Amino acid sequence: MAGRAEALPAPGHGARQGIDTALVGMLLFIASEIMFFAGLFGAYFNIRAEHTVWPPQGFELDLGLAAVLTVILVSSSFTMQYAVSCIRKGDRTGMVRAMTVTVILGVIFLCGQLYDYASLGFGISSGVYGTLFFTMTGFHGAHVLGGVIGMSVVLLRGINGQFSARHHTAVEAVSIYWHFVDVVWIGLFSTLYLLR
Amino acid sequence: MQLSPRVRSVVTVAGLAGAVLLLGGCSALYPPNAASSQGADIRTLYSIFMVPMIAIFVLVEGLIVWSVLRYRRRKGDDELPVQTHGNNLLEITWTVLPTLLVLVLFFVSWQTLNKVDAEPANPAVTVDVTGFQWQWTFAYPQYNLSYTGIGDQGPVLVLPVDEVIHVRLHSNDVIHSFYVPDFLFKRDVIPGQVNNFDLNLKDAGVTYTGQCAQLCGMGHYQMRFTVQTMTPANFQAWVQAEQAKAKATPAPAAGGQAGPTLQLSASSTTSFDETSLSAPAGQPFTVQLTNKTAGAPHNFSIKDASGKVLFTGLPLAQPGQTVSYSVPALPAGTYTFFCSVHPTNMTGTLTVK
Amino acid sequence: MATTVLAPGATRTYRRSALYEWLTTTDHKKIGILYLTNSFLFFLLAGLLALVIRSELAVPGLQFVNSSTYNQLFTMHGTTMIFLVLMPFLAGLGNYAVPLQIGAADMAFPRINALSFWMLPLGGILMFSGFFFGGAAAEGWTSYSPLAQAKYSGSGTDLWIVALLLIGTSSILGSINFLATIFKLRAPGMTLLRMPVFVWTVMVTSLLILLATPVFTSGVFMLYIDRNFGGAFFDPASGGNPILWQNLFWFFGHPEVYILILPAMGVISEVVPVFSRKPIFGYKAFIFATLLIGGLGFSVWAHHMFTTGAVYLPFFSLTTSLIGVPTGIKFFNWIATMWRGKISFATPMLFAVGFLSTFLVGGLDGAILASPPVDFALHDTYWIVAHIHFVFFGGTMFGVFAAAYYWFPKMFGARLDEGLGKIHFVLMLIGTWVTFFPMHLLGLEGMPRRIADYSPAAGWTDLNTVETIGSFIIAISVLPFMWNVFVTLRGPRDAGDDPWDGYTLEWATTSPPPPYNFDHLPPIRSERPLFDLKYGHGARRALPSASVATTQEGAS
Repeated sequence: MAGRAEALPAPGHGARQGIDTALVGMLLFIASEIMFFAGLFGAYFNIRAEHTVWPPQGFELDLGLAAVLTVILVSSSFTMQYAVSCIRKGDRTGMVRAMTVTVILGVIFLCGQLYDYASLGFGISSGVYGTLFFTMTGFHGAHVLGGVIGMSVVLLRGINGQFSARHHTAVEAVSIYWHFVDVVWIGLFSTLYLLR
Repeated sequence: MQLSPRVRSVVTVAGLAGAVLLLGGCSALYPPNAASSQGADIRTLYSIFMVPMIAIFVLVEGLIVWSVLRYRRRKGDDELPVQTHGNNLLEITWTVLPTLLVLVLFFVSWQTLNKVDAEPANPAVTVDVTGFQWQWTFAYPQYNLSYTGIGDQGPVLVLPVDEVIHVRLHSNDVIHSFYVPDFLFKRDVIPGQVNNFDLNLKDAGVTYTGQCAQLCGMGHYQMRFTVQTMTPANFQAWVQAEQAKAKATPAPAAGGQAGPTLQLSASSTTSFDETSLSAPAGQPFTVQLTNKTAGAPHNFSIKDASGKVLFTGLPLAQPGQTVSYSVPALPAGTYTFFCSVHPTNMTGTLTVK
Repeated sequence: MATTVLAPGATRTYRRSALYEWLTTTDHKKIGILYLTNSFLFFLLAGLLALVIRSELAVPGLQFVNSSTYNQLFTMHGTTMIFLVLMPFLAGLGNYAVPLQIGAADMAFPRINALSFWMLPLGGILMFSGFFFGGAAAEGWTSYSPLAQAKYSGSGTDLWIVALLLIGTSSILGSINFLATIFKLRAPGMTLLRMPVFVWTVMVTSLLILLATPVFTSGVFMLYIDRNFGGAFFDPASGGNPILWQNLFWFFGHPEVYILILPAMGVISEVVPVFSRKPIFGYKAFIFATLLIGGLGFSVWAHHMFTTGAVYLPFFSLTTSLIGVPTGIKFFNWIATMWRGKISFATPMLFAVGFLSTFLVGGLDGAILASPPVDFALHDTYWIVAHIHFVFFGGTMFGVFAAAYYWFPKMFGARLDEGLGKIHFVLMLIGTWVTFFPMHLLGLEGMPRRIADYSPAAGWTDLNTVETIGSFIIAISVLPFMWNVFVTLRGPRDAGDDPWDGYTLEWATTSPPPPYNFDHLPPIRSERPLFDLKYGHGARRALPSASVATTQEGAS
């Protein structure tokens, strides 16, 4: 008979070596999110291929604002990674500071996006280009919002003294998610603004 | 219950023979003989596919029946059978052979596909088929003829045999599918996209029924049509007669409407916007029909309680058009007005008093 | 050591009501049983819809429902069977069996597991509520645009969309849970290549769900935006493309077919070896075939669109043809497993053999449909309806019932009655063939699918009448099963831990298993740890173990 205790991993915790179970869950979730956005990008390129004039007449985007927002979101990935490296070393104060900056950058991005929406000359119902633009950036924005909320929760837990060099799965998980949101934006920015 | 080996083998053989008879000898497992040369190619291809499929069916079902009968566990037999985990040679065989089979079948069907989808440069007749909820329009652009289905049997598509017919498919609203079972062929009719196919028919003087094969709403089941074949000579004669008839029909009288004018409109293919109208008895009147539907034509027709059609409004009001129909005097009573294009669902009550 | 006392129930000083316990449980076994119960209720509902459909089609003329209602009936029948019956049936079996079979205490994320389940009845109720609010969705389970656009359909379609978003999220979360469980919580010694075949099929299925369902979710969101926010994704009039919906739908929809059949194949691969008293023939080839079906499954979606004139036919024809090969491998492996075995025909094995002989037709149908020209003739006819029902009913449902009879003693400690089980099996087998086989012939004669009525002149009446009779035979076949469950649950729980002389770990614990499943585990040195324990590792012709043999019922 095998040893008894070793055969009984507690649910929800990495009983075996390797990546933490929660992180495996997050990575799998990201995989499904990638496929979700793949569906949106697929729709974009499918419809784009059907049109000879693209974007159709009368759809002007604010490249300058989008470029600034891109810089903001990409920098937030770096501050996020800095927060992770702090907590890996056990530096909770550094993590809280870097995470605060990340949350603020995320909020600035969202505000900039809303400003952009308000000032654009078209809406979701003004033809297929408007539908694509607002759907793709809108779903991305919703993910940014989700990330900001998730980071805020982690931040509050950090302020309350949780997390250490050994136990900080939530920080790792939220950082993976945030990098993913960032990468999606880079894809969106390239597709919608650069490859016009 | 235990079967002796002899009984079991008899049962097995009988089962196999039954399966062979059922599958091999049964013509119901094959589509009808095709009316078009493209359909004939498809039927041949289907028959080619059926050979290995029936063979595999009989082989596998036979092996299942055999295993079930032969390897039953006897009562009280507690000894384990030989624990075989696999056999590389066998497994490679039943991987490689089916792969070869499907590759061969794939290439055969690719050849047929190229034949069926071939579109020669100069078709003799071009037909524009337009599908809409829930009728068809068949137009011959060369001859300036067009027919929209009326009633529940739909329009008739007249085609010559022995000539290349080029069919172009258009949709005004949702997706339909042009399907004639005797052609062994269908192709989807998709808005925003024109699909084409070519057809060579074989037998003149035959009528084939067709119907929409892609769910298109509540009237899908009755979106029928008929195909009528003719010899090329008869077809040309038919074209000339129809063209003469079209010239002879006077253009609809504009203005000069007698009696009161009733307003009627249709925003969908499911019902008129007004479901009851009233008109004076013994006096002609005018019905002005506004078609607000995106893709389908409508008209205004009247039938009495027995179902006898008293008036059919022509021409049809095309999408976006308003057409006035001058209706002759009717005696007092209650009638049903309807759209001839959508006779089952677009109806209303006409009260004449 | 003293591990079982950690079970929460043991430390409680008061008892909560059984109902509260079931509503709030995070135990994978209870959630599994909830899944199965919920699926069975929706199975009865979808079956009722099917009976109305078949009654309407029995003879020409509209006798019971009008065409609008008819369209709602088959739309809801199809959507319910696929999303609320077959998928959750398999998820329920996976939930129950996977942690047990890999020697885990629970799923990786028990609370998310409960969440995944509870989204299903919610989604189902939302979808069916359409019947009371001006009509349920009526565009078929494929919901093609533009028909599904607001211009051409009612609010039932919005309910359908919201329900599918819920159900889709439920399956995505479920698949993450299965994958994390299988990757992280396997017992020591349970290497990937020692996992039971059922676990493998659940794993591949979960990968398919994880990668295919989100694409469907994105498409369904687009449809919702088109319908409610003036979007133009699938509206050609505003620059959209109706074929885009078909691509998004089938990119998910075809893997979905394998999502629905692979775990059933996994069940068959558990049942056939145990009742043949042999190991599965060609374990590795079987795993390879499962992976191949999963992988190829992502490259065949457009074979549902051969008649659209909008896809490159030879490519999708080739990939679709190739998928027949791994399926063939599985068939030969199952037969070779039975070959020279000592087969006992308890009800699970009967359903497994029923699966083999019936699913075969569905598989061969698929190989024929892989040819685009043949598909031009058969697409959207009753031939297709025959094909999907031979796959899903003759395949998946037989697998589900095989699993129900097989794992029932583990779940409840009592074996279902064999006599009633055999009546159930015989009626269901006859009903399946009588209902669905003639559909091939109707399709060849040109009867399109999804029509509320047909002309008496079409010559389709006799076969339709036969099919309707068959559908009632299927309906009747379910009654002995329900009675069987009822009387068995009222009877003694005397099945024992290992009633079938099983091979896999679930039979190493008690029936039903305690919370957290195992007191101790046998050593795992092959894909049949319990067989090794009873007969010795690497046994070729071991002596019988007397204690096990006495629980066996001989061939009857």
